[in-house]
Amino acid sequence: MNIVVCVKNVPFTQDADLALDSSKQNIRKDNLVYVINEWDNYAVEEAIRIKEQSGGTVTAVTLGKEEDEEVLRRSLAMGADKAVRIDPGDLQLDAFVTAAILAAAVKSLPHDLVLTGAQSDDLNHGIVGALLAERLGITHVAVVNGLKLEDGKVQITIELEGGQEEVSQVTLPALLAIQTGINEPRYVSIMGIRKAAKKELNVIQADALGLSAADLQPSLVVEEMYLPPETAGAEILQGDAASLAGRIVSIVREKGSLK
Amino acid sequence: MQIERIHFWGIHAVTLFYVLAAISVAVFAVGLYIRLSVWLAASERQKLGLSVKGVGNLCKDGLLGSKIFKGDFFAGLMHFLIMWGFIGLFIGTVLSTIHHYLIRFLTGNTYLIFSFCLEVSGFMLIAGLLLAFIRRYIARVARLDNRAQDLWMLVIIAVSALTGFLVEGTRLAVQMPEWESFSFGGVLFSALVSSEEQAEALYPYIWWFHALLSLALIAYFPFSKLFHSMAAPVNMYLGPQSVRFASSSDGSEDKESEGPKFTFTDMIDFSACTRCGRCNEVCPSTSAKEPFSPREFLAQANEYTRFTYNPLSKVKWLRERLFRQVSQAPKISPEQIWFCTTCRACLEVCPVYIGAFDPIRRVRNVEIENGDGVSPLLTKSLETLYKFDNPWEPSKKKRAEWSKGLTVPDLTAGAKADLCYFVDCTTSIDTRTQNLARAFVKIMTHAGISFGTLGQKETCCGDIARRVGEEGLFEEQAEKTTSLFEKYGIADVVTSSPHCYNVVKNEYPPREAMKAAEEEGPFRIRHYTQLLEELIDKGAVKPVNLVNIKVTFHDPCYLGRYNNIYEAPRKVIRSIPGVSMVEMAHWGPDSLCCGGGGGRMWQELEGEQKLSEVRIREAANTGADAVVTSCPYCLIMLEDAVKTAELKRSLKVMDLNELVAKSLGLGDEEET
Repeated sequence: MNIVVCVKNVPFTQDADLALDSSKQNIRKDNLVYVINEWDNYAVEEAIRIKEQSGGTVTAVTLGKEEDEEVLRRSLAMGADKAVRIDPGDLQLDAFVTAAILAAAVKSLPHDLVLTGAQSDDLNHGIVGALLAERLGITHVAVVNGLKLEDGKVQITIELEGGQEEVSQVTLPALLAIQTGINEPRYVSIMGIRKAAKKELNVIQADALGLSAADLQPSLVVEEMYLPPETAGAEILQGDAASLAGRIVSIVREKGSLK
Repeated sequence: MQIERIHFWGIHAVTLFYVLAAISVAVFAVGLYIRLSVWLAASERQKLGLSVKGVGNLCKDGLLGSKIFKGDFFAGLMHFLIMWGFIGLFIGTVLSTIHHYLIRFLTGNTYLIFSFCLEVSGFMLIAGLLLAFIRRYIARVARLDNRAQDLWMLVIIAVSALTGFLVEGTRLAVQMPEWESFSFGGVLFSALVSSEEQAEALYPYIWWFHALLSLALIAYFPFSKLFHSMAAPVNMYLGPQSVRFASSSDGSEDKESEGPKFTFTDMIDFSACTRCGRCNEVCPSTSAKEPFSPREFLAQANEYTRFTYNPLSKVKWLRERLFRQVSQAPKISPEQIWFCTTCRACLEVCPVYIGAFDPIRRVRNVEIENGDGVSPLLTKSLETLYKFDNPWEPSKKKRAEWSKGLTVPDLTAGAKADLCYFVDCTTSIDTRTQNLARAFVKIMTHAGISFGTLGQKETCCGDIARRVGEEGLFEEQAEKTTSLFEKYGIADVVTSSPHCYNVVKNEYPPREAMKAAEEEGPFRIRHYTQLLEELIDKGAVKPVNLVNIKVTFHDPCYLGRYNNIYEAPRKVIRSIPGVSMVEMAHWGPDSLCCGGGGGRMWQELEGEQKLSEVRIREAANTGADAVVTSCPYCLIMLEDAVKTAELKRSLKVMDLNELVAKSLGLGDEEET
């Protein structure tokens, strides 16, 4: 079983004070700490569990600059066998271009199963998986939160609304976009990351993949970013419990939520 | 008739005896070889040199057995009698052998004294064994778990000693020389035989029985628990030391050994344990009925190392016949290891200097490197530590927020000061402990000390990483922290956490640069209790306001047991007018851990009782109004426990700084 898993280094934005850069088309990233995209962490763990169970190889792929290799080292430390970084050079990336580049790279790798995270923590489009599967011409399943391998086929669990679960079977090759919570990702030690430096990591240039100008043309252009305008402050109620309760009821009634 | 020992009286098959003795010694040698091979399989060796301290330890705790007597007189007496009985008989046998084969010197009065001493040794041994038997099977001392080996070792040694007297007695029944009273034991036993004829008929049988049993005992010695008599002295001589800093880049990296990297002292520890159970009695985790026991851990580690590193297992033929299948190989079960709080209480009471916490760290290291046995909370905390330099918050910005409204110079922003206050992650970020820092800063300002902090640039010292076995991360943090000290020319540091204090002082890699810049003098780190003590001694801080309160002091493990600081915080408390002090049932070296150490703060482990609640109840039982401590972890754990144990109304949890600040009239800092 040859598994390719796509990973991304993303800025950690929880608790961070975000500011816009001078172009007003992006946020300032120089003071942010980068981590593996949370969904991808689960995808790598799932890939390694499959490998540990039924053999094969795991190749981690990322589209990013040299400093993003950290995410590949981490994946190698977790148990991936090989890693590929595709350098985007000066290309403008959106989900479509990303998928086109990834597809060109993944095509050259043996792949029975391609795993991606369901979405990325920075842009949150959640479409690279689907676009990539389309370009590779293989089956695609989104938001997978359960996976079982059964002789050449994969049994997939997807969570539906209201706690319902849908179980289905797909044939390989397939691309599965992994949801968080599918497993408990293992801890990656610092020694592990250091040792992973000895594993194979290849770098290829995105513009050497033979993609057409149309493929590399972003479909989505950010025109401007701005912080949400500040609105009037919240009203803080004071008083004893009884009068507070009365006041809350009257506000809720006023706003029309209570008939 | 000359006064001397009679050898092989009436025994004919002497050659057979020599053959059997040779076999017995050979088996003993093989056993010893196996044990030593296991010791030497350690990933790190100890330097063996002449150590005066080691010899001192050996005399005090070995020959006199003072730590065995401590807290259990009869255990001490039992061991003293057996050990000296054994030593006496052993020396006697050696002297007698020299006399028989080399130089004849045990004659006349020398022989009489020799004989008398041997009789005494024999009786001491029997008395000791009897006491051991009573303790195990009649008084049933709770901490002793009576396994099969414990019983039959007692019986074999006792029978061996008794038949020794019987051999002598039967011979005396026939000969009865005039110096008989020097062999009073033998004389006593000779009364058991009714006639000379009977004695002469019985003698060879008893002699052979005694001889075979003794030879069997010698052969079995290195394989049995008696081996502790060889391992324990080595352990005592080496002292209760843990290897300071195991650099992970010493080539062992390439070996890819799957098992824990036990050190030389770990290996000796395992083989020196006799399962006396004192560690279990004091272990806070075992006491709270959590699924952990230092004794069981050490036993598993002993089984594991004796199996894994047994040189005979490398020989295929032997392996297939002597050893269990690999699937049945002894394992150290990984679930238990996270419960250890590394409180060091086990080492404190162990008569032979064994501590479970150091080898536990090495098993944790295996789990950390494998990655999949690490709990999600710990995983998250370590990842946060790696990325954001603290185990609490995924942000570097919150580090200096505690000092809002106070004047705290930032040494990384150009401020110059004599003393660097290393606040530590927990004190900086946790809302309860922030008050500790605020109170301490106010006291330092009040005393006119020139101090500053590292502001937002302060690092995590790496103690958590070290405790949970994340050696790579620990190295990284140690490197970062020392570089920071160097960069800003910091030579004098005071810290809030006993954990930071301990790890920087005792476990950081020795570095030339840590000597700090030439003009700054040698690097030093202190805990704030030491600084407070100094300030009060010098009169720079004079607590004046009456604080009418009865307090008890909770000793943090890493201040007390790890660094022997028991008196400083008590002295500070006593200097405050109006404060009266009571001690808990466990205090000083016997103090009970709050449950927050050893990385347990970042794990959700539960037993039948919460460790912190056990401790807070003990504090409440003193009738004190407040329990004072001097560690951010203890402060958080006890503050939490006082709420969950519903003692909030009657008992206050305070940091020592808060108490001092109150007496100095420095703001209302005891607020929770």
